[in-house]
Amino acid sequence: MNSLDPRVTRLPQVGEVKPKKSLDQFGTFEVFVQAKDGKPFQHEGAIHAPNLEMAYVLAKETFTRRFTCVSIYVVDTRDVFVSPITEGNQSAYELISRDVVGAEKKAFEIYHLSKRGKQHIHAGSVEASSPEDAMCQAKELFGTGKVIYNIWAIEKDKIRFTSAEDKDLWNTLPEKKFRDASDYKGGDKLKYFLERVKVESNKL
Amino acid sequence: MNQDVLKELLYKIADDLLILGHRNSEWTGFGPLLEEDIAFSSMAQDKIGQSYALYQMLNELGEQAPNTVAFMRNANQFHNCQLVELPNGEYDFSLIRHFLFDTADALRWEMLTQSSYEPLALLAKKIKGELRYHTMHANTWIKQLGSATKESISRLQNSLAIAMPYALGIFEESTFEKEIIAGGIFAGEQELKKRWIAKIEGVISQTQLHLPDLKIVTPIFGGRVGKHSEHLQPLLDEMSEVFKIDPTAEW
Repeated sequence: MNSLDPRVTRLPQVGEVKPKKSLDQFGTFEVFVQAKDGKPFQHEGAIHAPNLEMAYVLAKETFTRRFTCVSIYVVDTRDVFVSPITEGNQSAYELISRDVVGAEKKAFEIYHLSKRGKQHIHAGSVEASSPEDAMCQAKELFGTGKVIYNIWAIEKDKIRFTSAEDKDLWNTLPEKKFRDASDYKGGDKLKYFLERVKVESNKL
Repeated sequence: MNQDVLKELLYKIADDLLILGHRNSEWTGFGPLLEEDIAFSSMAQDKIGQSYALYQMLNELGEQAPNTVAFMRNANQFHNCQLVELPNGEYDFSLIRHFLFDTADALRWEMLTQSSYEPLALLAKKIKGELRYHTMHANTWIKQLGSATKESISRLQNSLAIAMPYALGIFEESTFEKEIIAGGIFAGEQELKKRWIAKIEGVISQTQLHLPDLKIVTPIFGGRVGKHSEHLQPLLDEMSEVFKIDPTAEW
């Protein structure tokens, strides 16, 4: 079946048994945004791209073309290690068991989901030999108090950061009000139009 | 100094940005990827915004209001190079033009941060980040597709050959070139061209593309003195359609 909609084209033909075709799409990359200096980075969403550098370039406009920010970074989705997800009063940290600690240590960034349905927020950095080891150390350093429903660990070297000289990429963003729907004052225009219609119809 | 010298420089930079901004905006909704569609459209908006700032500067120097200047002139009154008015073609051509033009544009503004005309130097510093993104975007795409598949490489190579005579037209010298340089307003088209060649060579050398021998490419001049291809007037007609029906329209 040929259709302009790729989802239809991918459907198997009736009566035909074939291996499932792989998707003709790029892999995904996770995008993190820092709204203000001193604020933690927050996960904003994912982007399709052929590689890390392209992901950075495309993420910049896809995720930060409206709201002001000072920095972003991206990482291949496959480099994000995810803890079990918990509910109620159980913290995901309770389900992390001490991993066998290897000799070689690397820097890992740790992210917390502290409200279901919200974004993962950067909690801090640790030196660890594996993602599990990183979460174990994070448990002691950042895991006290609040219930954490999900933990992410990302090896720092896998992240494409914003360099110091690229910090000015967002300099003029606060002036670009024309990208906000509110700047077009649609409500005011509608009110004016309706009042004019009323006046016109009263004349008749 | 004669103000016409300054005005001529401002007009050609502004017209380049307005016309290419409009051309690039024609990709909105048709980009090859959703994310790229957004990025290309944003950069088109940046270009229109930059041209607006320059038309405001011209307005302060006694020229007509930005909207009048943008929408009411005919093709022969525009000073943009012909490169920016050419139709979009396929994405390979648009990308090559984006790369060739934006590299020159970013270098021009970098030079203008030193301009003796203070409003221009201030604007150059203000938009530095926008320009940095434009060249980062262009370079990343050229490096990506310039080394990807046989098709992507040959498409970019063909577009490079078509665009190059027009790209050299960016550097068409003004009759006031000496005064502009002597007055410290801008270090001149020849200096810009020298820096531009070094930059594009640097990127192209990281791909499987090859730069045409610039010594045997004949530049297409004329744009800076109002001589344009048949493509500019239809663009202007479309761009100014609403303004010409109702100059007070808001949208």
